[in-house]
Amino acid sequence: MTIPAWILDIFAAVMLVVAAVSAARLVAARPWRRGRGAATADIDVAHLLMAIAMAGTLAASLRTLPNDAWDVIFAAATAWFAYHVARDARRVGIRALSGGHCAPHLVHSAAMLYMFVAVTAPAASAGSAMSGMAGSGMQTLRLPIVAFLFALVLIGYTIWDLDQLSGPGASGHYSLAARIAPAGAVAPALAGAESPAAAFSGLTSAGSPTSAGSTVATVPPPAEADQTAPRDPYPVSSGAGRLVLAPWVATSCRIAMGITMALMLIIMI
Amino acid sequence: MSDMAVPGGRAVWRGRPDAGQVATSAAPDIRRMLQLALAGVWLLDGVLQYQSFMFTKAFGQMLAATAPGNPGVIARPINWDARLIEHHVVVLNAIFATIQLLLGLGIACRPTVRAALGASIAWALAVWWFGEGLGGVLNGTASPVSGAPGAVILYALLAVLLWPTDRGATPVPFTAARAVGVQAARALWLVLWLSQAYFALLPANRAPQALNGMIGGMASGEPSWLAALDRNAAALTSHQGLAASIVLAIAFAAIAVGVYLPAPAARAAVVLAIVVAAVIWVVGQAFGGILAGGATDPNSGLLLILLALAYWPSRTGAVPRQSLAGHPAEGIPT
Repeated sequence: MTIPAWILDIFAAVMLVVAAVSAARLVAARPWRRGRGAATADIDVAHLLMAIAMAGTLAASLRTLPNDAWDVIFAAATAWFAYHVARDARRVGIRALSGGHCAPHLVHSAAMLYMFVAVTAPAASAGSAMSGMAGSGMQTLRLPIVAFLFALVLIGYTIWDLDQLSGPGASGHYSLAARIAPAGAVAPALAGAESPAAAFSGLTSAGSPTSAGSTVATVPPPAEADQTAPRDPYPVSSGAGRLVLAPWVATSCRIAMGITMALMLIIMI
Repeated sequence: MSDMAVPGGRAVWRGRPDAGQVATSAAPDIRRMLQLALAGVWLLDGVLQYQSFMFTKAFGQMLAATAPGNPGVIARPINWDARLIEHHVVVLNAIFATIQLLLGLGIACRPTVRAALGASIAWALAVWWFGEGLGGVLNGTASPVSGAPGAVILYALLAVLLWPTDRGATPVPFTAARAVGVQAARALWLVLWLSQAYFALLPANRAPQALNGMIGGMASGEPSWLAALDRNAAALTSHQGLAASIVLAIAFAAIAVGVYLPAPAARAAVVLAIVVAAVIWVVGQAFGGILAGGATDPNSGLLLILLALAYWPSRTGAVPRQSLAGHPAEGIPT
């Protein structure tokens, strides 16, 4: 007996929701206009592709691309986020892994790549690996310790995301306040920033001490601020667009994908 | 990307709103970190419960196997529960898995941490009885190497010790004392580790081949490197059951009294506890059997490590609400 199909279908449905939300974020952000949406397009694209791939793995009827295509896609995504993490690490050191926002996406991409590369097809249905878990309970992953470690890291990031999303000291990406109030009003207010661009640049814990006991508070020259500020931080004017672009939405998608990915890794050990 | 100060002492990161940036969010205190670790273990538990093995009648039979040897008043409900699960295994196991998933998510989510910790205590106690037969404590088969006094009771103990409240405003010598007080926390530690020493010396565990059989039995189904590790460890303990039990009992006793000693000695005792728990988890429990498939939880070794970390000597205490990122009104004790 394998895992009941209806349970896998529920997780597949959640992944379809994540895919739909990620697609909506891409449309609403209009990244081709080089606004704020351009800066987050890679993450939304990664979420979209991962969610589609996972839905197809969980339910055979939702399968879209052959495994080889997914191998290439997630290898590219892994390389892309690895580059960004390495770039962040050069700037801020190990904090790029603990507080950076590319590190979780790197882990997600690498875990997807591992799943597609390491899966072993059941002998009876060779060639149909990763084409739906229901009814194919013999699917397993090579190097199960890697699957276990990926699952642990994914769970760790999921727990951390949820803690930050709900924490009083957190703001910016994780701000619940940004969820409750209109983004255009809350983001600058939260940051106490002088411009929406500064507020939208992502906040740290307001005035919170770092682990070293100091507070991150370096004022860049105005000229630098002008150069780095996005030109069009609010490309969307509609309320629905603002809602779907709220940072907590992307984080929630990541939480849902982290749980689902960990589940898939564990049940294929 | 650079950070900048803004009015009110708030720091912001410049750059992409969700990518390529490093947010220095409020560093949680040690207790919150341990709560998050506990949340992660519950989440892992929930995910493990979704494995295909759990949706078979074998799951009910596994529960029923914990009943023999227990007093009737304990065994009868276990048998009833096992039969019920065998008849409705798909629905009930899906519910169990979802509950454990939600417990993990609830502990990780700050507004629900109290409710989730409270629910986790109730759930853990129920699973300890109906799912683990009280960890074999009453039938003489409990072994610290195989997970006595039951991994799930350690979840409950951790939930109590990490409860988000502070008894008094003065700093306490270790995190576990914040919720229940120093004396109660030390007493719980003493009881736990002395009971481990007692279990190690039970006749079933000090038999010449007891430890050998226990460790060797874990090799089945494991990856080759872990199976080889188990087989080698089993060979080392062949016909050494009594000696191994005595060594373990002495180590457990030293750990138990360690928290009553001055800080340097207490720190050494906690380190010993972590090392012993890690060895038990890897060698004796093979990571709870997760890599072989069919594990219901990561077993006790990981939980013992978390517990030991909660007793790490360091002056700690209530976090002033003002310190929570300058939002006095928003401070949610964690």
